[in-house]
Amino acid sequence: MKKIISAIICVAAGVWVFGNYAKQLSSENALETQETKAEKKNTSKYPERIVSLSPNITEILFELGLGEKVVAVSNNSNYPAKAATKQKVGTFWQPDTESILATRADLIITLWFAQQKSVADSLERLGYDVLLLKIESKDELIEAIGEIAEACGAQKQGEELIERLNEKLEQTEAKYNSAEKVKVLWVIQAEPLRVVGRGTFIDGLVVSAGGENAIGKTIYQYPPISTEELLKCGADVIIQSAMGAENIDRQQEQAEKFWKRYPNLPAVKNNRIYVIESDTILRLGPRLADGLELIGGFLHPEIKD
Amino acid sequence: MAKEALTLKRLVIEIAICMAILFAVMMLCAFAGSQSISLKKVFMSDGAGGIGNIDRQIFFGVRIPRIILAAIVGAALACSGVVLQAILRNPLADPYILGISSGAGLGAIIAILSGISWSFWGGSSITAFSFVGAILTVWLVWWIGRFTGKSQVTSLLLAGVVVNAFFSAVIMFLTSIAKSNQLQSTIFWLMGNITEKSNSVLVTACVLIIFGILVLFSISQKLNVLTFGAEQAKSLGVNIKHIRVIGFAFAAFITAIAVSLSGLIGFVGLIVPHGVRLVFGPDHRRLLPLSAIIGGIFMVIADTIARTIIAPAQMPVGIITAITGGPFFLYLLARYSRKVSWLK
Repeated sequence: MKKIISAIICVAAGVWVFGNYAKQLSSENALETQETKAEKKNTSKYPERIVSLSPNITEILFELGLGEKVVAVSNNSNYPAKAATKQKVGTFWQPDTESILATRADLIITLWFAQQKSVADSLERLGYDVLLLKIESKDELIEAIGEIAEACGAQKQGEELIERLNEKLEQTEAKYNSAEKVKVLWVIQAEPLRVVGRGTFIDGLVVSAGGENAIGKTIYQYPPISTEELLKCGADVIIQSAMGAENIDRQQEQAEKFWKRYPNLPAVKNNRIYVIESDTILRLGPRLADGLELIGGFLHPEIKD
Repeated sequence: MAKEALTLKRLVIEIAICMAILFAVMMLCAFAGSQSISLKKVFMSDGAGGIGNIDRQIFFGVRIPRIILAAIVGAALACSGVVLQAILRNPLADPYILGISSGAGLGAIIAILSGISWSFWGGSSITAFSFVGAILTVWLVWWIGRFTGKSQVTSLLLAGVVVNAFFSAVIMFLTSIAKSNQLQSTIFWLMGNITEKSNSVLVTACVLIIFGILVLFSISQKLNVLTFGAEQAKSLGVNIKHIRVIGFAFAAFITAIAVSLSGLIGFVGLIVPHGVRLVFGPDHRRLLPLSAIIGGIFMVIADTIARTIIAPAQMPVGIITAITGGPFFLYLLARYSRKVSWLK
């Protein structure tokens, strides 16, 4: 029993020392960052070294003319071409805190979901400025552009971009809105079959482009559907999200071959199957209107400018 | 080594050596990472320029907390594995066998799906939910196990397996209706992931887990007796019920803390106890502390690999523990199994 008691005392002492050390460390850190923040404010009000953890945020930054100030981006930030040459700080799903620190950033812009938020929390604890954005719909995108512009001192460019984007989106919607609704089956995975459900962001795009989801409302975001459901859904158009950005032509061929097994579907009969690189084209970013135009073109080839 | 009698002096020396190795490994691993940092700069008081000393920030703000967390999580899982294997008298028992994994997973996915983002006391909602989920599930399993049958150990095991399976089905259902980024978040959590936590969370976790390990260590002599079987233990004057309750409660408690901080890291709780048992023998007074320390060492190394191997991206540490742990365990099994049989 004696040795257990003495062991407990030893560990308790160790924990106490460690706790004090940690406390001291964190207060030191806080002090340090307060100082550095004050210093920063003296020199310049707006960030000069920005890190973006998401490809759509990167696109917004470049579109706002802040490309020069972006020092590092997430691995999948591949547009515009200049963004791809920036330093990388981990993947979209797993950003690397160390690499971000090493860039000596003064603003880190992240998205609002568990992995990025935990990195954002760590950075905030260390005294960094973090802008946490939730971009899951068109309205949130517009709002986010405004927030980014304000945080980076590009208010004027921000307003212009928002106006430009809104105008283009409205024009495109107006163009396709009056057309007859086309039934669309948006396939995200062919085997086993999984499609885009109602209420999702892509579904919203389809509706804006003068289409209608061939699958009714379900409890799923991306419902897995049976062959029976598929046969009776009567899709006029099938759009399939590409796997990766390469070999789109080959994927298109494979998709056409795959869908031949359901010759009674109107989409297959009329050969209206399209494979698109949805990850890049349909980002919630400044190119959203172009993506909408592309879908509108697939759904209503009869409408010309 | 295993053949010699265990004396207090021997035990203290062994623990001291293992602790020294643990600290050496922790220090070494603190200098590995996606960024190279210099020792000199880390201990310089202040850096030039407005932003501060980056090397120091990376070292103390990111790596040290993460390494300490990895060590403490590894220790908790390994220690809990030892205790559950002893109490359930089942070599396949691991810290998750009583439903902790699925309970914590269910808590985590509920936190992710509901989008609750508040954080309290430096911990995130996922940490809080998964901890509560784990504790409730263990309580449920314990309750069912007590309710049924005379052979408590068997019904506990069965209750654990069934509750695990049921909750896993609920988890699958919830992930199938999740949005894509929620889905990814859940999958990463289920694969086990160590990230930096705030100092307050870290210190609390360290204190609670070390306390739990000490309590379990205090019953290690009785765990030895328990492995002979219930009848024998009774005839030797050991209060089996009492030991079981303490063992379960504290093993579950430290596992729940570990899981809520790092997600489901598999294999550590299974492989480390068996590995230590093969090398050092089945005496729990030695097995328990050494497993805890070696679990910590294993986890620190695995996490260092996870954060450096595909830098600047990171790999979920659960993948590393399974890939490296499996073959190493097989090697130990082949080398030592002829000398020491399991639970002798």
